[in-house]
Amino acid sequence: MDRRGFLKFAAGGTVGLVASPIIWNTLYDAVYWTQNWGWIPRLKKGESQYVPTVSKLCPSGTGFLVRTVSGVPVRTIGDKNNPVTHGAMTALAAAEAELRVSPARLKTPLRRSPDGAYIAISWAEAEKLLKEKTQQAGASVAAVSGDPTSSINEVLSSILNQQGSSDFYFMPDEEQPAAVAWEAMGGQGRLGYDMEGSDCILAVGAPVLESWGVVAANRSLFNRTHPVGGEAGQKLIYAGAVQNNTAAGADLWLPMKSGTDMALLLGMAHLVIKAGKNGFAAGLGNFASFAAAYTPEKVSAITGVPQERLEAAAKALVEAKKPLVIAGSALGSGGSAGSVMAAIALNMLLGSVNREGGLLDLPYPVSVVAHATDYRDTMRKRFVDYTQNVAAGKTKAPALFFVYAANPVYSLPADSGVKETIKKSGYSVAVASFMSETCEECDLVLPAALGMEAFDDVQTPYGSGRVTYALARPVAKPFADARSAGELFIALAQELKLELGVKDMPELLYKHAYALGAPFRAMMDEGAVHTARVTLPASPLFYNWEAIRAAASARGEEGDLQVAPVVVLAMGTPQTAIPPFATKVVTDYQLKGRYSVAQMNGATAAKLKVNAGDLVKLVAGNNVQITVVAAIFEGILPDTVSLVAGLGHTAFDEFSKGKGSNVLALTSVRREPGTGLPVWGLAGVKAARA
Amino acid sequence: MSSEVKQFKIRWGMVIDIDKCTGCGACMVACQAENNVAPAVDGSNKLRSLNWLTVFRLSNHKPFPDHEVAYLPRPCMQCGKPSCVSVCPVIATDKREEGGIVSQIPPRCIGCRYCMASCPYHARYFNWYDPKWPGDLAQALTPDVSTRMRGVVEKCSFCHHRFMKAQEAAVARGEDPMNLPDGAYITACTEACPNGAITFGDLNNPAHKVHELIKSPYAFRLLERLGTEPQVYYLSRREWVRREGDNYLEHEKTGEATKQG
Amino acid sequence: MDYSKPVDAELFPEGCERCSLTKFMGWMSILGVVFLWGLYAAVRVLGFGLGETGMDDYFGFGLWITFDLAVIALGAGAFFTGALRYILNIDELKNIVNLAAVIGFLCYTGAMMILVLDIGQPIRCWFGYWYPNVHSMLTEVIFCITCYCIVLILEFVPLVLENRQLMKRPFIHALAHNFHVYMPIFAGIGAFLSTFHQGSLGGMYGVLFGRPYLFREGFFIWPWTFFLFVLSAVSSGPMFTVLVCTLMEKMSGRKLVSWEVKQLMGKVGGTMLIVYTVFKCLDSWYWATDMLAGEGLTFDQMFHGWIYGKWLFWMEHAFIIIPMIVLLIKPLREKRWLFYLMLFLTCTSITINRYVLTVQGLAQPVMPFDSWYTYAPNWAEWASCFLVFAYAAMVLSLAYRYTPMFPQEVELNKK
Repeated sequence: MDRRGFLKFAAGGTVGLVASPIIWNTLYDAVYWTQNWGWIPRLKKGESQYVPTVSKLCPSGTGFLVRTVSGVPVRTIGDKNNPVTHGAMTALAAAEAELRVSPARLKTPLRRSPDGAYIAISWAEAEKLLKEKTQQAGASVAAVSGDPTSSINEVLSSILNQQGSSDFYFMPDEEQPAAVAWEAMGGQGRLGYDMEGSDCILAVGAPVLESWGVVAANRSLFNRTHPVGGEAGQKLIYAGAVQNNTAAGADLWLPMKSGTDMALLLGMAHLVIKAGKNGFAAGLGNFASFAAAYTPEKVSAITGVPQERLEAAAKALVEAKKPLVIAGSALGSGGSAGSVMAAIALNMLLGSVNREGGLLDLPYPVSVVAHATDYRDTMRKRFVDYTQNVAAGKTKAPALFFVYAANPVYSLPADSGVKETIKKSGYSVAVASFMSETCEECDLVLPAALGMEAFDDVQTPYGSGRVTYALARPVAKPFADARSAGELFIALAQELKLELGVKDMPELLYKHAYALGAPFRAMMDEGAVHTARVTLPASPLFYNWEAIRAAASARGEEGDLQVAPVVVLAMGTPQTAIPPFATKVVTDYQLKGRYSVAQMNGATAAKLKVNAGDLVKLVAGNNVQITVVAAIFEGILPDTVSLVAGLGHTAFDEFSKGKGSNVLALTSVRREPGTGLPVWGLAGVKAARA
Repeated sequence: MSSEVKQFKIRWGMVIDIDKCTGCGACMVACQAENNVAPAVDGSNKLRSLNWLTVFRLSNHKPFPDHEVAYLPRPCMQCGKPSCVSVCPVIATDKREEGGIVSQIPPRCIGCRYCMASCPYHARYFNWYDPKWPGDLAQALTPDVSTRMRGVVEKCSFCHHRFMKAQEAAVARGEDPMNLPDGAYITACTEACPNGAITFGDLNNPAHKVHELIKSPYAFRLLERLGTEPQVYYLSRREWVRREGDNYLEHEKTGEATKQG
Repeated sequence: MDYSKPVDAELFPEGCERCSLTKFMGWMSILGVVFLWGLYAAVRVLGFGLGETGMDDYFGFGLWITFDLAVIALGAGAFFTGALRYILNIDELKNIVNLAAVIGFLCYTGAMMILVLDIGQPIRCWFGYWYPNVHSMLTEVIFCITCYCIVLILEFVPLVLENRQLMKRPFIHALAHNFHVYMPIFAGIGAFLSTFHQGSLGGMYGVLFGRPYLFREGFFIWPWTFFLFVLSAVSSGPMFTVLVCTLMEKMSGRKLVSWEVKQLMGKVGGTMLIVYTVFKCLDSWYWATDMLAGEGLTFDQMFHGWIYGKWLFWMEHAFIIIPMIVLLIKPLREKRWLFYLMLFLTCTSITINRYVLTVQGLAQPVMPFDSWYTYAPNWAEWASCFLVFAYAAMVLSLAYRYTPMFPQEVELNKK
């Protein structure tokens, strides 16, 4: 072979290969494959519709437009026309279209077999079972609802009442202690807060921008009072143990030790009285002299709030035209009535009761279903008293126990007795949308439609300053075999030949709207929302200083460290757990892998001899022990660790299960001195490096 | 060595008022849902969770009780002089179209991750595995944004599909698609923010709010000294927050260094 | 048949002794096990995705890119020695140029294997040609590396063809001869391509103006790192070739290249090292004192804890300054252990350089509120690097056993 031959050989081979279609076709095909792996879902095109409705998963009843594509919800977008939430969204409501189809969603009725496993059954079978069990139970039936804003409660309570049982309960929430407090101070209606009318809000313990009250409405108010790049039109002062989301939006943060809310409020009362604010009502003198003991020095020592900040906060309240003081709990349940009483007293001193921008007396939601228990009466009943009595054998366990839209097994302290109550009850039925810890304890699990899949409603949620009424309308078909809980209970009542006075959900909603003077047609057809300012005759309030004094005598929790729980809506509610689309919102200072993260300040960490990233064991007074990862964050009081709530699920799906620890496991039920209210949410722990 | 600042008639931009942001994360959820970003089972590993928009927690670095906190949502900055565009070997990312949005074309991307290395904002994310929508979650995919595949980089597009929709709507109304009214096109995060912390619009258009907002003495951009010319602006009345927006030597003051930079 | 010789003795280069085939196969199977382990990792990465590695969104580059950059720099012995031998006609280098070419071939093909794993969509790798972005340093790298890889194959093929048995066939003989005639052209093209992509690899980092740790100013379109990479490659490449040669001598127990040739290679590398060290130190000085300050940063802020500590920085510099001095001083240079140690230090410094630019450059948080995160390669990344090591060792073993790689071998091993 000569040189020429070699060159010919090389060149010919190359040209031949390049000229043939082999290479080019393969390359083209290869690109096509890499873009169209069969296991990656394709998009479904279709007509988009935007239908206004309200969220039933988000506790604040966020108003949103559900975007459907060919009838399937794909997005939820804030509804600017909603007069309550003004288009403001929460992380939870924003995830609702995806929650609708999440792996934790219940698809079909489930019956527990004798060996403990669940068997999928038909609705016909489930309804038959339900009817039999209810008939057999007679008067021995109890129920708890975790959705106080829904009128489905009336159907359920009516069934119970007609069976001869008065054991219908709401899940413990923020309103129950507030109702006790308002009544103790002479309030006759329902406690309302006109946050919109106020120019300075002091929120003690209540995370108003994340979880307290009608959060979406609070946020939209914050938006409107804080123009972009401009001067704020409303001052917000927040007192809490952790510099949480609310503190981030507040003008002033009062770092207040968990459980010292009363001392702080009494200290503020002392300061505003000194500044000449002493709105008159019966008991003023006694209250003032009681509060006089709470000098800034003493309050600072008890609460940990620097004196000058106490004074700055008092000054802001005194100088404000329409100050408003709100008390609440970090957890949103198990809070004390005493701090709300003290907050009411502080509002009274400031003249912020029964006026615009102050505390208001609102009417309680009315009942329209025959034989239903009134909202107010249900609110007065204490679920944890009942379950603890059943657990202790003091009260007979019910033959039939309903859990509706609630997850008490997860969301109440371990010694609440709820698990035992379910176990002891003859038959337990969970009506829920997601496979929760409570569902896993029940004998029969019935899949409930979501707010966007069925008729439901949102009656004035606690924290509002107005009467509001919104309808949840079926925007999409219920997922899989889910069914409207309202229709389910109505059908049960009809089977049992009980009298409700309504034949279906639309009629029930119509009667409600009618009772409120709300425009039912517009609500039904266009998703309009009813709001009304209602002025009742002013309640004859008085300074119930004795009740305040009694509540103030509550002792704190023992332990080297106080646990400060933080609630974030991105973590979902006990009923939803963490939405699939919110796992990325959960931060690395809340959760790391399978451990909850305990935030503490540098001084605390030094004292405990731990570094950021170390594993730490926390042992609570009830001997529950959890392992957490330490993180350093200076926005937190000394000797305090903050843990985010909403972790430690053992049910639901892979997005929630096996992540961190449930902060409620560290808490125990106590009784508040004076009111006897079951309270929890505080925990003292001892820490050791794991 | 590096491309120059590109000029456009329309320059879509964001003004994020940090003093209004409380870090709730609604924007992040909305972004994922809108753009068909697959959910992550473990989102706590921030180095592996694909998120076009991330909210950072800022600290004034003072010990308790003088500590202050702020939250900073970080979308893609849509830089005027993007560090990523010039480095991409296959033009999978570009800044060419009117509006100044830095595009990203996943089917073109070969997954070399050079753009990720170039971006000081960490705005770019990689598909370490094929995206997964467990169970029936894929039913909730929107029809607007194609799903991606493993091995490609993706990032915030300022919800570019909404820009196109807004333009189509303008054409249908007989209006100029190149002169959209303020608010006709906004991103999903802007829409979702309950606190109204995000304002979106054409930075060049005097009829748009953002045009004025960026002139505020409180306005700043992230890492301006590097010369990336971001189209995302931030606002804060707090000096320490503005100082967190860029690197400063001890003696340097925020306003001055930025101007010289 | 001579039963005192291994069964495959007919394939050995003329006049060279080799170990028994059993021993050789034993050695090859050890390598084979390592190879299979790496192959398993590679299959997992290609099958499931890059999530199988320890990389993440903060460390998009990791061990693999470090490995690629290091082997490409160390494999630069091929083009540089080749250029000196074939273009500048430094004849003594013919005694080591074959080895240099094989090492270059192995380094580049090895790097290509890792790159196939490292890009998320290997099936789209040809997009670099189809949709090239001429502004990207990486485009230049893709062009030059693939082209140069072909050149290296062309440089490697004749060596294979020179196997004693193959050469007996007239066609192959002619082919090998033709390859040889064109060698200066290959060497020339190789030198051009290699210089450019070595530079472009450096340029890749220097252009990242969003990364203060990496960004450098420069000359025309090339940042200083462009030139530093070329210089560091040409200084460490010949040294690495000598080190590999010495390792082979230790393992085989035979002398392969004369001390004089090694010294010559050391001199060549050492000369380049002087230039590199001067410019590298100037660059570091200017970066630390001037450039960073312009971006509002301090030198201290570029380092963090132990893993990203300053020791790396100082070690990188010390490991070029010390060898530079030692290699300049003749009595020291002539001490064998010191000579080899200095070559080793230089190669280490270059590897550290590639590592810090790749990993520490990304670890350094630019946004003031961002944090330092750490990166550690996982088993899959290590395994695939070992896949390349095993592959290289196998090919090198075969080449040594069956091809006339070392012209001096017969001479040096005369008893």
